[in-house]
Amino acid sequence: MKKKHLIWSLILLFSIATGCSGGNPSQSGSDAGDKPSDNPPAQDAVTLDFWYGWTGPEAEALERLIAKWNSANPDIQVKGLSQSDYQKQLTAITGGNPPDIASQFGQNVVPWGLRGAMMPLDDYITKDGLDLKDFVPAALSTSQHEGRTYAIPTAMHVSMLFYNKDILQEAGYDGPPETISELKEYIKKLSIVEDGGRLQRLGLWPGMDAYTFSYAFNGSFYNESAQQVTPDHPGIQSAIKLSKEIWDQYGSDNLDRFSSGLGQYMSAQNPFFSGKYAMTIDGEWLPTFIKQYSPDLNYGIAPIPYDENKPELQNSGNVTTSVFYIPKGVKNPDASWKFIKWMTEPEQMAEFTAALGNLPTRNSAFSNPLYEDVPGFKEFLDYSGSENLRSFPASSYANEYMTEFSAQYDAILRGTVSMEEGLDKVKAKIQPLVK
Amino acid sequence: MRVSTAANQRKHVSGWSRKERHYVYLGLAFASPWIIGFLAFTVYPFFGSLYLSLTEYDLFSPPKWVGLQNYEQIFADDRFYKSLGNTFFMAFISVPITLTVSLLIAVMLNFKVKGINYYRTIFYLPSVIPIVASALLWTWMLNPDFGLVNMALRTLGLTDPAWLLDPRYTKPSLILMSLWGSGSGALIFLAALQGVPRQYYEAAQVDGANWWYRFWKITVPALSPIILFQLIMGLIGAFQIFTESYILAGGKVDGSGSLGGPEQSLLFYAVNLYQEAFVFLKMGYASALAWILFIIVLLITFILLKTSGRWVYYGGE
Repeated sequence: MKKKHLIWSLILLFSIATGCSGGNPSQSGSDAGDKPSDNPPAQDAVTLDFWYGWTGPEAEALERLIAKWNSANPDIQVKGLSQSDYQKQLTAITGGNPPDIASQFGQNVVPWGLRGAMMPLDDYITKDGLDLKDFVPAALSTSQHEGRTYAIPTAMHVSMLFYNKDILQEAGYDGPPETISELKEYIKKLSIVEDGGRLQRLGLWPGMDAYTFSYAFNGSFYNESAQQVTPDHPGIQSAIKLSKEIWDQYGSDNLDRFSSGLGQYMSAQNPFFSGKYAMTIDGEWLPTFIKQYSPDLNYGIAPIPYDENKPELQNSGNVTTSVFYIPKGVKNPDASWKFIKWMTEPEQMAEFTAALGNLPTRNSAFSNPLYEDVPGFKEFLDYSGSENLRSFPASSYANEYMTEFSAQYDAILRGTVSMEEGLDKVKAKIQPLVK
Repeated sequence: MRVSTAANQRKHVSGWSRKERHYVYLGLAFASPWIIGFLAFTVYPFFGSLYLSLTEYDLFSPPKWVGLQNYEQIFADDRFYKSLGNTFFMAFISVPITLTVSLLIAVMLNFKVKGINYYRTIFYLPSVIPIVASALLWTWMLNPDFGLVNMALRTLGLTDPAWLLDPRYTKPSLILMSLWGSGSGALIFLAALQGVPRQYYEAAQVDGANWWYRFWKITVPALSPIILFQLIMGLIGAFQIFTESYILAGGKVDGSGSLGGPEQSLLFYAVNLYQEAFVFLKMGYASALAWILFIIVLLITFILLKTSGRWVYYGGE
């Protein structure tokens, strides 16, 4: 009797315990290889799980490419999953059941790669003779650290100056500002301030992208030879001073009030579309939005203004990327690599980025006729060839660095800390992380 | 025979009879899902995080023992103090306000007027809406130019602040939002209110006590155990506030923007912890942060419970 009950309780316990661990990714026995697929694959086919961060129409563009791959490669079937929660990738990799291929933001590559979450791709690159020289250097640098490549950048973003032709004409300008001092003059003239300080229109939002302008002043965030982070680099200081000068003309109170009354970015009420901003610094996707939300807007695209004392710094910009990578612990890295390699070939890259309105990262993709239909792309494609494009130095602590820098940049603009004090704080916090 | 009886008796005294043991096993078997869940998802992570807080752990490579180094770093970290300050603000200003308001709502909902059930439903309704949805809703309501709140303020001739962008107003915005959800607290108070014996009020009325006096001398003391309960739960909730800030000041999806809003005025403890763990991949450091939060909450709860004897009245005593 007694024994029987004990056995029953044990069975119950056991079944519950195994039931629990079924949800534990590290113990679940299903590897990517033996998952059933919708379309019956060839005998020894592998199925690869591919997690990407895009959704909606962008995901559809990606799925079209995946379908193309699947029909051409019966032995390697790829299953795409739109998974815009990037934290899930962390959990999956830590749990030992990662997707076979995944997309990420460029600035996470080196932090993840150095910690072993991404497979270094160097062996594959050498073996297949992938020509890394074909990639835009600033874009590729987001995936590399000390000679190792952890991911392949598939799309990149860079900002340029957008200007409202009608507003500029009204103010008597027949072209965009070309130098920094012209920019300052334009902003002053194009802004409309009511009595009492209430803003009606801004020439340019003063809390502008500090990275883009730092590079415009030849700023650098890291000194390789001294192994020092350099948030206090004179070039960065010049960029902050420029923003601060414009900011102080209007004051935090008026700017807060003005900006919180502005419409949503992705809508017809976007301040640049509705004429609340005469100019804006924005990325290559903006023309696609303009076409969608404000097709009558009479606008132009121009290079980031340069310092007239340093004409060699024309066409500068800050590059960020989206990448594909192979997570640590995948069952079939060779197959994953084949897919990544194919996806980042100029033809597929062009098809994907043209559908997304993003820039390709390979020079040989630039000339693809697909881009002719993308609004505003000519300017951006030309700009992508500029030698003055930079990207934030890839390092294991890049996210901490950017977070701390933007927090202090905000505090400096608002005048709660002085520039020296704020930048010293960044340095004091980040330098110990340099190893 | 005698021996065996004695043995049986001894067994009976020191332990359980066969039948009792059988029920104990059966009981344990039925409780086992919870027991296993508790061990696997509460006890194990609890001690796991204690261990991790003494290591450097980035999720991918094995944890590296560093002793108390994480704790030393925390006390030199600006972001720790900033986030703790913001969180204290919410705990010690927002929670008492919300509590008072929900008590007042409960008192109002306790009046016997026509259609009281509709009022009760209406006040409770916002509590059913997920925080994410209500946070998004409030970004519209708090819009300085065409939001409802400022429209009302302007009609009254008051200042209309830039709620979610001016660092001085971001936390008051969140308090305003939390007031909107005070219906669930009011519901608990309402239930307690209906348990207050009517005789007390009748006796007080006979003695000529006015409404206010009755409220202070009967209602509040009678509700004091519930107030204590709500206060503790509210404080624990406030120490873990996350979603509102993440939605309202969440920077960009790519994590490049700084979480925490203008001048980090919405950088709460849990937001900072999340960022350290999942953006900066410093799981060991984040575990240490979590333990400090645990100790703070434990201390505050302990102090509240210790001092509560002076103002909490239990009906049975």
